[in-house]
Amino acid sequence: MSATQAAVELRGVTKTFGGTTAVANLDLTVPRGALYGFIGPNGAGKTTSIRMIMSILFPDTGELKVLGRHSALDAKDKIGYLPEERGVYRKMRVAAYLMYIARLKGMPEKGLAERVSAYVARVGLAGVEGKRCEELSKGMLQKIQFVAAIIHEPDLVILDEPFSGLDPVSMRLLREQILAEHARGATILFSTHVMQQAEEICDHVVMIHRGRKVLDDPVSSIRSRYDPRALVLEPLEANADVARVRTLADVESCERNEGAYHVELKPGVDIAGAISRIAAVLPVARIEVKRPRLEDVFVQIVSERADSADSARELRAELAGQSAEAPT
Amino acid sequence: MKKVLQIAAREFVATVFTKAFVIGLLVFPAIVGVMSIVGPKLFGPDRSFAIAGQLAVVDPTGEVIPQLRSALTKGTPAADLADVIRIARGEAIGGNVLEALGVAPKLTLVERPATADVEHEKAWLRVADKDSPHLALAVIHANAVEPKAGETALGSYDLYVPPKQDARVEIGVQEAVREAIVGARFKARNLDRAQVNDLTSVPRVRSVTVSDTADRGTVGGFQFVLPLAFMFLLFMGVMGSGQGLLTTTIEEKSSRVIEVLLSAVSPMQLMAGKLLGHMAISLLGMSLYIAMGLAVLTSFSLFGLLNFALIPYLLVFFVLAFFTIGSLMMAIGSAVNDLREAQSLMLPMTLLLIVPWFLWMPISRDPDSTLSVVVSFLPPVNSFGMLLRLASAHPPPAWQVWLSVAIGVAGVVGAVWFASKVFRIGLLMFGKPPNFTTLVRWVRDA
Repeated sequence: MSATQAAVELRGVTKTFGGTTAVANLDLTVPRGALYGFIGPNGAGKTTSIRMIMSILFPDTGELKVLGRHSALDAKDKIGYLPEERGVYRKMRVAAYLMYIARLKGMPEKGLAERVSAYVARVGLAGVEGKRCEELSKGMLQKIQFVAAIIHEPDLVILDEPFSGLDPVSMRLLREQILAEHARGATILFSTHVMQQAEEICDHVVMIHRGRKVLDDPVSSIRSRYDPRALVLEPLEANADVARVRTLADVESCERNEGAYHVELKPGVDIAGAISRIAAVLPVARIEVKRPRLEDVFVQIVSERADSADSARELRAELAGQSAEAPT
Repeated sequence: MKKVLQIAAREFVATVFTKAFVIGLLVFPAIVGVMSIVGPKLFGPDRSFAIAGQLAVVDPTGEVIPQLRSALTKGTPAADLADVIRIARGEAIGGNVLEALGVAPKLTLVERPATADVEHEKAWLRVADKDSPHLALAVIHANAVEPKAGETALGSYDLYVPPKQDARVEIGVQEAVREAIVGARFKARNLDRAQVNDLTSVPRVRSVTVSDTADRGTVGGFQFVLPLAFMFLLFMGVMGSGQGLLTTTIEEKSSRVIEVLLSAVSPMQLMAGKLLGHMAISLLGMSLYIAMGLAVLTSFSLFGLLNFALIPYLLVFFVLAFFTIGSLMMAIGSAVNDLREAQSLMLPMTLLLIVPWFLWMPISRDPDSTLSVVVSFLPPVNSFGMLLRLASAHPPPAWQVWLSVAIGVAGVVGAVWFASKVFRIGLLMFGKPPNFTTLVRWVRDA
């Protein structure tokens, strides 16, 4: 992909803090109009990478282009950014704060107040414009901060852990807003350590672990490449004889897992045929092809790396946010 | 530049349109106003204080006691000390001593034999008498009135007082005894004291300041106070906004709003905007104080005494000092997590800014001394030093002023360069607060 087509382009970018390498030799290309998920456990280097893209930090080595420019400083007005460590001027009123940020993003004064009201209403907070930021709840503030990131209709929206701390309803609303921005034509790059969120939204995923990129593929490609060739089976009756499934020639194993049965198929088996043969020997309430989860893909990739001594359990713990390491 | 001005405008509005700012701005003139009215009542002579009690005197000359007696026994058992002095001087008095003493003291004279044993007499001081306390024992020297044979020097007296004696009592007693001895000396020489007083009295005159516009009575101390006033304005402007820059930077960092700002502007734009905004706040405060000062000068008909060329100099040196100190304050604010952590890094800065206050007196008195010249070329205190010299009675030559400005500009460049490097790194650094070595490393790495 050429530089003019890419919204974000990193080549061999490395960043160290003292003796710690936060990002190592990272290559990344985010095409214009794409919806990219930047995923990895806490401390993987996501925030450092994003801060370098935003020219808040500068790489030790490597090249970086944002919206065709060599520094985001030259394109800040076309970038919307929701940092992980987000804050507001607590004493400022919501409208004043959003207008201030919009002005800094180069928005003209004319129609700004109306635009602020419209965007605040878009996230379901109509009427809070006159309140001081300190009067809002954490969830409301996060929505206001999201508005601050997109109010100037940027070409590139970078969201660092946008869903953290949100309740399910707010999470859904924010997801819709992200998709709306994407539908408007904006390039979206968002980071998360909750891989399920990336699965639900993104069309492309970049995985990073300890500063190194371990995966950079479209979600569809990941699904086919990391297809576990397994089925999820839920018998119609709770005390059904599942042993009959295990006797089928297509089946490698059938193990109970989280209220359902995980049926692993032998290599080369036709999945559609296997489903009908299983349904013939056991009445089922539900049977479906098991989708590869990004978390499993991540664990698989990292575990397979020759230089990694991480156990799958430790990796899953990291993904669950149990890492003591601070985000970088 | 537009973004810089927008940041400056927000800083200005967020600070100026607050109750705290308005109150803070008015507090100083309010204190000055209140103190000028209430102060004399609070700190003036205590009018309820009175000296009353007994004064024992041992007088081997036999000449001093009559002087005291004639005054103290005149009319009432305990005469006014003022009368003692007036009679002794042969004049009506009302000088500083009596003003300091408040109500005129009333002393009862206790005459002791000329040959009395002093050690024995001292015991009298230890005797408590609530109605008429024993205030002092004065032992007049034998040669207090006439010199000893073959000598020319006159003697004095010894004074003994009980413990925990009020200093004002001792002053009153000393004044009374001194005047009595002087009166005795005049009498011994057959001199008319009133006449001598008349001959030796030349009243102090008030000089007239001759200016280009008009002649007016010289205002004592004006040239001495003027440098202090200008240095106060400079200090207030620099430190007031310096503190503002420190606290707002810490607030933006700790509330994490800083990263949102950095997504819209560069660290240099943010720093420049904040500096400009707070400079405007300081200029507003200084303008108000200058206006108030001019109003006071006008009301006392002293307007013409002020050299108005000092005001542009004040602004020039304010800008130099403000950018130097303000940028360093921002650097400190960006490097720490809260105000408490800033204290250790602020200490050298605070000590540095105290220096001009120590040097105000020597520079004002001798603006051409080596110390004064050196201080006016030494950033970051050169602005204070040069302004003190400019406001003094002997302003420095123009080349020294311009050299000081040039050094100030170099100081600003150095301070802003250092601060911008620390600012860029420090804003996103959380955790253990840095020491000075760490700051230097950041500057190297940035």
